[in-house]
Amino acid sequence: MSIMEYNGGAVLAMVGKNCVAIASDLRFGVQAQTLSTNFSKVFPISSKCFLGLSGLATDILTLHQKLVFKNNLYKLREEREMSPRVFANMVASTLYEKRFGPFFSEPVIAGLEGPENKPYITAMDLLGAPVDAHDFVMSGTCTPAMYGMCETLYRPNLEPDDLFETISQCLLAAFDRDAITGWGAVVHILTPTGVISRKLKGRQD
Amino acid sequence: MARRYDSRTTIFSPEGRLYQVEYAMAAIDHAGACVGILAKDGVVLAAEKKSTSKLLENTVSSEKMYKIDDHLACVVAGITADANIIINYARLSSQRHLYQYQEPIPVEQLVAQVCDLKQGYTQYGGLRPFGTSFLYAGWDVQYGFQLYHSDPSGNYGGWKATAIGANNQAAQSILRTDYKAEINVEDALKLAAKVISKSMDSVTLTSEKLEFAYLHRTEKGTIVLKVLDSATLDQLLKDNAEPANDTM
Repeated sequence: MSIMEYNGGAVLAMVGKNCVAIASDLRFGVQAQTLSTNFSKVFPISSKCFLGLSGLATDILTLHQKLVFKNNLYKLREEREMSPRVFANMVASTLYEKRFGPFFSEPVIAGLEGPENKPYITAMDLLGAPVDAHDFVMSGTCTPAMYGMCETLYRPNLEPDDLFETISQCLLAAFDRDAITGWGAVVHILTPTGVISRKLKGRQD
Repeated sequence: MARRYDSRTTIFSPEGRLYQVEYAMAAIDHAGACVGILAKDGVVLAAEKKSTSKLLENTVSSEKMYKIDDHLACVVAGITADANIIINYARLSSQRHLYQYQEPIPVEQLVAQVCDLKQGYTQYGGLRPFGTSFLYAGWDVQYGFQLYHSDPSGNYGGWKATAIGANNQAAQSILRTDYKAEINVEDALKLAAKVISKSMDSVTLTSEKLEFAYLHRTEKGTIVLKVLDSATLDQLLKDNAEPANDTM
């Protein structure tokens, strides 16, 4: 048994036309036993930056709390919000601090960068090695299935509503190929004018 | 008289006084005036800015008013460099509490943490005390809106209305007569304008030399620190300020 598969779960982010989407499943479980169907793994950092975390649930919560700590101090000192790129760097540094005893969580960050609100997504491994992509990033226990779905369904420059449909179909289909991911999903679409959040109901098994 | 017992913080004088601490408090009586008023729906903070050279570039939005957390703000009187250290400590302290308990730090606990830091510098280490006093405005779920004052000795008290800095005795006596319990933020702002105008050194009563802010709860229930913009502040001063030097 791998510690990264103890709780299960998945996160996915996608780039659209002047928008980004980030989504996760809602399951919280311990190996085969499902304990909650309301555990979102996506957290808002600012109106223009969202963080998704997969892996060990306790580390998801602790990492998020640590990042809120650091983000709050940044906002107080700088008197401005952190940009997604800078936040991603901070996440990577935070993970690398624990290089020889890491947090068992692999983050996905999605946001709109700068005054032009350029879509930005990135993901990294549990040690903080980042990968920037222009189309989609994901992490969790069903990444092979998600890769398959995204490579097939993704097209660049999707409008927010189409992006929502695309990411939802990728999620739901991939979750059904993983026993420990699913029980519903939450999808956030970030646009320059605001965030639209929706819950999806898929197969409840 | 006091010369033999005032050069070190770690010794008492024969009368039982800590001269370094008292000298620190004297430093603050020369600083820009600050006023705090507790209202039933918020807390008002007002401050007189000292450095207003036209050539000065501002790195932070305020010289006197600082946010410590979403539900806590403070206003500073005294040595700005000392204040920066304490504000940073207060912010860290607030986040540490939030991290550990996943809820905002109660106002008095934060004030006590800062004061414990200040007290340390009056008893050990051989370092001089901080030359700053603070007025803290905050809200927590247990006691609602609160106003506190702390000084270089590390002592603190909760107040309904108080003033620190230059001419604070005059300001406090006006507050004593004019403060009414159950005052609301709108009237507290007017009272603060009246009080601070009377304790200011300069004659100019414009938003250039003053900063006004109030902590209040929005309809959604979030706590917000609203800093008055110059137009609103100028209007408030025009309607409520009374010049310090009346020749009547």
